Amino acid sequence: MATSFITAHPFGDAYAARAGALPAVAWLESLRRFARAEIAGGLPGAQVEEWRFTPLTQLAKIGFIPAASADDVDVTAVPLDVPVVPGAVRVVLVNGVYRADLSDSLDGLDLRTLRDAVSSSKDMESAVGRVAPLSLPMVALNTAFMEDGLVIAVRGSVTRPVHIISIGAAGSSPVAFHPRVVITTEPGASLSIVETHIGLPGQPFLANPVTEVFVAEDAAVRRFVSVTEEGDAYHLATTVASVASRGTFEAFHMGLGGHKAEGTTRQEIHVVVNGEGTKVNVSGAYAIAGTMHHDFTTVINHRVGGSASRQVFKGVLDGRSHGVYQGRLRVAPDAQKTDARQVHKALFLAHGPAVDCKPELEIDADDVQCAHGAATGALDSDQLFYMAARGIDPETARALLVEGFLAEAIAEIGDESVRVVFAAQMAAWLQRRGGAS
Amino acid sequence: MAAISQTTAAVRDVEQYKYGFVTDIETERAPKGLNESIIRFISAKKDEPEWMLEWRLKAYRYWLTLGDQEPTWAKVTYPRIDYQDSYYYAAPKQQAKYESLDEVDPKLIETYNKLGIPLKEQQMLAGVAVDAVFDSISVATTYKKKLQELGVIFSPISEAVKTHPELVKKYLGSVVPYSDNFFATLNSAVFTDGSFVYIPKGLRCPMELSTYFRINEKNTGQFERTLIIADEGSYVSYLEGCTAPQRDENQLHAAVVELVALDDAEIKYSTVQNWYPGDENGKGGIYNFVTKRAACRGRNSKVMWTQVETGSSITWKYPSCILQGENSSGEFYSVAITNNRQQADTGTKMIHIGRNTKSRIVSKGISAGRSSNTYRGLVRVQGKADGARNYTQCDSLLIGDRCSANTVPYIESRNPTAQTEHEATTSKISEEQLFYCLQRGMTQEEAVSLIVNGFCKEVLQTLPMEFAVEAQKLVAISLEGSVG
Amino acid sequence: MALLKIKNLHANVAGKEILKGISLTINAGEMHAIMGPNGTGKSTLSNVIAGRDGYEVTSGEVLLDDNNLLAMSADERARAGVFLAFQYPVEIPGVSTSNFLKTALNAKRRAAGLPEIDAMEFLKLVKAKTKALGIPDDIIKRQLNVGFSGGEKKRAEVLQMTLLEPRIAILDETDSGLDIDALKVVADGVNNLRSADRGFLVITHYQRLLNYIVPDHVHVMSGGRIVASGGKELALTLEAEGYAKYQAA
Repeated sequence: MATSFITAHPFGDAYAARAGALPAVAWLESLRRFARAEIAGGLPGAQVEEWRFTPLTQLAKIGFIPAASADDVDVTAVPLDVPVVPGAVRVVLVNGVYRADLSDSLDGLDLRTLRDAVSSSKDMESAVGRVAPLSLPMVALNTAFMEDGLVIAVRGSVTRPVHIISIGAAGSSPVAFHPRVVITTEPGASLSIVETHIGLPGQPFLANPVTEVFVAEDAAVRRFVSVTEEGDAYHLATTVASVASRGTFEAFHMGLGGHKAEGTTRQEIHVVVNGEGTKVNVSGAYAIAGTMHHDFTTVINHRVGGSASRQVFKGVLDGRSHGVYQGRLRVAPDAQKTDARQVHKALFLAHGPAVDCKPELEIDADDVQCAHGAATGALDSDQLFYMAARGIDPETARALLVEGFLAEAIAEIGDESVRVVFAAQMAAWLQRRGGAS
Repeated sequence: MAAISQTTAAVRDVEQYKYGFVTDIETERAPKGLNESIIRFISAKKDEPEWMLEWRLKAYRYWLTLGDQEPTWAKVTYPRIDYQDSYYYAAPKQQAKYESLDEVDPKLIETYNKLGIPLKEQQMLAGVAVDAVFDSISVATTYKKKLQELGVIFSPISEAVKTHPELVKKYLGSVVPYSDNFFATLNSAVFTDGSFVYIPKGLRCPMELSTYFRINEKNTGQFERTLIIADEGSYVSYLEGCTAPQRDENQLHAAVVELVALDDAEIKYSTVQNWYPGDENGKGGIYNFVTKRAACRGRNSKVMWTQVETGSSITWKYPSCILQGENSSGEFYSVAITNNRQQADTGTKMIHIGRNTKSRIVSKGISAGRSSNTYRGLVRVQGKADGARNYTQCDSLLIGDRCSANTVPYIESRNPTAQTEHEATTSKISEEQLFYCLQRGMTQEEAVSLIVNGFCKEVLQTLPMEFAVEAQKLVAISLEGSVG
Repeated sequence: MALLKIKNLHANVAGKEILKGISLTINAGEMHAIMGPNGTGKSTLSNVIAGRDGYEVTSGEVLLDDNNLLAMSADERARAGVFLAFQYPVEIPGVSTSNFLKTALNAKRRAAGLPEIDAMEFLKLVKAKTKALGIPDDIIKRQLNVGFSGGEKKRAEVLQMTLLEPRIAILDETDSGLDIDALKVVADGVNNLRSADRGFLVITHYQRLLNYIVPDHVHVMSGGRIVASGGKELALTLEAEGYAKYQAA
């Protein structure tokens, strides 16, 4: 498969040598060796089926340096446009590294930085890499070069949501960072996480976060992620969640890209259903413009039956942007009584954007209900006329219809205060866009 | 008539696959293996002009450069094929230049009778003209004269190469180029026969044209090539059927079908594919690796593919439409049934190039036993295809808990005024429906057949009448032993 | 005084002439009914007045209060006071009925130089109107027309009409698919809106609706023309005798 991968890329040994690494504990060194072996073949190009719509050809040409070794990056405050999530504890990462000075106090929370956790506790060996497989190229890259991140071990019910704010910023050279967030739960525990990923203007950066979520029996993790891209950064994020019996995993991911956005965002979410009676909802929305490329890739693997999963994805495309949805629903042999649904709809707002969609069903059990739907198109002329016939001008009508189109996805956000925050961010995108043509 | 009694005996042994018999007939074969001299031999046997041989050789040389690059993306597994361990030419010894059917070897006539394809015109289904292809060659074409009077050319392609070289030269490889894919390239090098159809301007072909393919010989690959051209404003409905004897080894069938529809022309292409599927343990059966593609070149042209795929141990085929002409439309209706150890990876590609092009895809997959059944499809709307529309419906039905059903659609849109819509479902055969039927006194198998036929109805009803009835029976037979 | 004046209106759909010279004047305070068999251009007329795309006016005039409607876009016409109650109101998922109504109402108020109405006032207003019409007020929380029954859709149209207080209301086959109770709700809503400064054009296939909404004038449309006009008794004649007489012409 040598031809499928882009072998010339900046993440060689020279890059590794410049990274300020995590403590050199044996298990981690060993894990990193495996990871480096996985990516020795290179970064995925268009020939690799999972990356056919988002090949990393251009990325491989950028001479990234490890963010930790960039000494000309100075972030002193959280940008004001980061939304406030009512009641949430703010945890700030700059270029993937925890910043106590910008964060709220972590007192009383089951939350540590990855650096602390790795140096102080032995149980990290069983937590890092527990659910995220090195066979995913971005997980391997992250594992090879991760420097910091967060470890959240939830006992009981955490009432205050955690708001992780991840800021990417490059100095005079492009930087790359590979934070790892590990979330584990005890049986019956629950947690809500909101994440805001933004970049500061300047040189391109690569954010390569990996989030591992372990949902125990009867536990619940709700995670709401928003990625905003205004420049030409790469945001290649992978989430892998494992859900035990009666566990709940709800994820909502939003991708926004402005008029001048030229970047590439890929939000890849894998969920492995390992028990009966679980509830899984992985949904998302994207609104992109410029030449932004946004990719949602999901894999829901029902390894055990008797569970339900649901996916609702909606996208709005302007400018010459490119939207991708790849969704794979897998039902293993004997995973009977699985109920899995998946839908992706994309709306064109201009001549110029492109949409690629590949919803996949892979079903090896018979007593199942599985369905997917996909659609692409422009605004409906009957709906536009109906609005006009009630005196609503075309610009307002289009805005209402686009908002309504996205509302179906936004409605999947189970937490009302988060829903309001996300809806407002989406509305602001639509407003900035102005008179949709 | 030793052959007939032998045939009858063979048929008795075969319960589920009633076409599994072998016809005992003297055969002329080229030596085993594939090389330039085999290709020259085939070409010489067919008395082909030089340009045809050159085309074959070009394809063959290109195929050599492909090495082991067989397509690997389909969800099918099979042991490596040894292309040198097969015969590329086999023909009943009696030559195929019959002036009348009376000269055809009675064994062949009997074989086709057995298959339900009578070749004697007086016994034939009214209004269906048949080209019968036995192993590598066409043995009979019926209603030839009548069609000739209308200006329709319906002949073995080997004959058309000589009688209508200008048409063959112009269109052969124009839809599926020799370099298209591994199997199409192989076919271009070694194709032996197949049908050629030309419908003249403005003619609505009054009878269904049909080709019946039969693999008889052992260790033989069948590589037929079909080319249909519907000139401006014409219409034709074309049917193909296929069967093969029951054998323990796998046999390769790598066909290419090219359709060309000019302005306002319409082609309806129906297939009932019932190659030998192998036994319940997956032994034997045909590898059906087929490239079928239609070019809707003209304005308002229309192509409709209907396929009922019940046979073959492996099916790999994607009848597609290149929708080039403004307002052209492509339709794909498919029923694919897999049972036992069968594997099917089938679907379509609809490429919208022209303005206001339309496509419709209806796919019904039924998996039973330990089989694997995959729908794989592509809908691509290019930038200039203003107003394009696609609707896709893919449903899978599972019978039993050891089989798998997969749906892999690709939807790529580059035009904001285009609308694509895709829906897919997977579920098992409804226990409520089954019980309802059983309660009314049906056997389990009758009930399954009834329900599955209902599930497939939207596809089956697009078949010409005579075939629809056959297809319904076939659906029932293919699922025998899948429940209970 | 003349509210809506249609003069010798010709219109094409997809290159084919559907309206072949319609002339009609509706004075303020009047209720007009247009009846006729299917496919005679009744719905085309309502769409042309409302300004739908795909309807090409080849000649003639449509004036509202002496303003040229044909020069206005569909939304401008609506704000000028044209209301079309649709035969098949389109479903708009994701858009709540209340948000839609508020947007429409404020568009109209802005055009009239009135201040926008705030959320509280709007709710009060809608509650009053739904109560008066006997419509459950939770209808406004639902997505616009999504999953509404036939009757609910028509009632929602009447609610919108009541809120937007048009100068001229066109009811396009509003009675189709309604049971008698729903029909009465619709008719009551329309009758309550009748006033000296408002006109109505009711398009219907059957006389039934006209038992509840009594017209001042009845017109028969056939082949893209108005072929007969009369008082309310004409509707009864049509009911008894059918359209055959006019179709032959």
